[in-house]
Amino acid sequence: MLEIMKANNKKPFSLVDRTDPNLLEETFDYGLPPLVRFDGPIVESIDGKLVTFDPQALKTRELVITDTTFRDGQQARPPYTIEQMVHIYDLLSKLSGPNGVVRQTEFFLYTKNDRETLDRCRSLGHRYPECTGWIRANTMDDFRLVQEMRLAETGMLTSCSDYHIFNKLKFKSRQECMDRYCQVVDAAFEAGIRPRCHLEDITRADVEGFVLPFVERLMRMSEQVPEHLSVKIRMCDTMGFGLSYPGVELPRSIPKLIYKLNQEVGVPSERLEWHGHNDFHKVHINGVTAWLYGCDALNSTLFGFGERTGNPPLEAAVLEYIAIRGDLSDVRTETITELADYMRSIGMPIPDNYPFVGRGFNTTSAGIHAGGLRQDERIYNIFDTTALLGRPPRVAITDKTGADGVTLWVNEFFGLKGAQRISKIKLHKLARWVMEQYEVHGRLTSISDQELEVKTRELLPEFWAKYRG
Amino acid sequence: MATVQQRVVAVTARVLRLDPNTIKPEHHFARDLGAESIQSVELVANFEEEFGIEMDEDAALSVSTVGGAVTFITDVCKQQGIDV
Repeated sequence: MLEIMKANNKKPFSLVDRTDPNLLEETFDYGLPPLVRFDGPIVESIDGKLVTFDPQALKTRELVITDTTFRDGQQARPPYTIEQMVHIYDLLSKLSGPNGVVRQTEFFLYTKNDRETLDRCRSLGHRYPECTGWIRANTMDDFRLVQEMRLAETGMLTSCSDYHIFNKLKFKSRQECMDRYCQVVDAAFEAGIRPRCHLEDITRADVEGFVLPFVERLMRMSEQVPEHLSVKIRMCDTMGFGLSYPGVELPRSIPKLIYKLNQEVGVPSERLEWHGHNDFHKVHINGVTAWLYGCDALNSTLFGFGERTGNPPLEAAVLEYIAIRGDLSDVRTETITELADYMRSIGMPIPDNYPFVGRGFNTTSAGIHAGGLRQDERIYNIFDTTALLGRPPRVAITDKTGADGVTLWVNEFFGLKGAQRISKIKLHKLARWVMEQYEVHGRLTSISDQELEVKTRELLPEFWAKYRG
Repeated sequence: MATVQQRVVAVTARVLRLDPNTIKPEHHFARDLGAESIQSVELVANFEEEFGIEMDEDAALSVSTVGGAVTFITDVCKQQGIDV
């Protein structure tokens, strides 16, 4: 029932008193990322009509994550070595699990190294992520490359804003541009390759005047070929202009873009993909919004690393996928940490406060938070990061840490759980030493694990002997 | 032999660096005697050492006055079979 906002919507509320906590565990099941639960339809106004979207469909549609770490991800850094890419691919496959949640990844094909990498990745024999290509499709030779590499699918540039059509690609008209793109798609069909049209700059394009007629033509062309060759559409939010909230006008509205392509042009959800950029800090939510409104594939890169401000972070998409589905779907989430460790080892910087994998993502330095963690780690930890990511919550030791934080650190250091945990009463000498570093010696930096380890051995010899002796 | 109260006062004076003659049973450790968070933990640790007992951390730290500590420690000593 649609209700218009009135001047006064006030109603009375009464305290629901209880003596035991209601931890809302149907949403905050600590063993999973907090679940995404909907309690009604989503409404969007499109061309003057109120259209409802059923978010429960997210549980039954075949949502997938696709990867472009080796393509967009590599445009933002010096090239990976072949060995590095093969190892990353291997880990992506491990993360993906048997259901192919990370369904595809794409490769450049232009250099000998590009092609050798693809061969080496495929020789690992993994089913997922499936390997696809990425070509500029300026010449028919590009398709020969795809054919030679025996790829079933390739992405190709079909930029759709006038910024690209006229100012970059120098077409004389939109008609000339569309005809040229369709020629290239025909060439892909002839080569037996499924074309995935990358509609670059779609959030700055004339949707009614170019995008929809072009995609409609692609859908008609697809009717003439077997299903496995039918065109896929990647919506590329090249500059990060897309907006997730309802009521926004085209071309920036993600809900409207997807509705029009999916419902008015008839591109099936499984052939729609969203590719975002993070220029306005909206990259992850925009990707998830695309899932929500009917696009099944979310294109992403590991740790969001990509051109300029980057792409939807793959690891965040994986955790969101689990939160939407309500189960792990055989995804091996601990591989996220393995991937981050590997990326750091090859020189990719990951900020300490970066969600899920930064060194400090679940580290607290405030004593009051450490005290909460000590009593019940759920109070200040987002989910069971030990089980899902192999990353127990931690405390950084500073003047704000207090005895609670020191206690948490020591128990973590010795790996003690439950009744085994050492009380803070027994650790007061170490807590005092920490305090004096700041109060007496005027220290301004946090205390490293190495320093604390030395002091633990010195000030708590009985525990050291018991647990490390 | 010193009483529980005398021993509690002596420990409190030592940990908080106060003159034992100024400490009274009704004194609140934090408000009246200036005990900081870390010192509360040190007080409990020193009481344990002084009396040879083990105290429940949360219960011990919730005791707020000198007199309360005397009562609490006396009870714990009784439960743990320590003569005081």
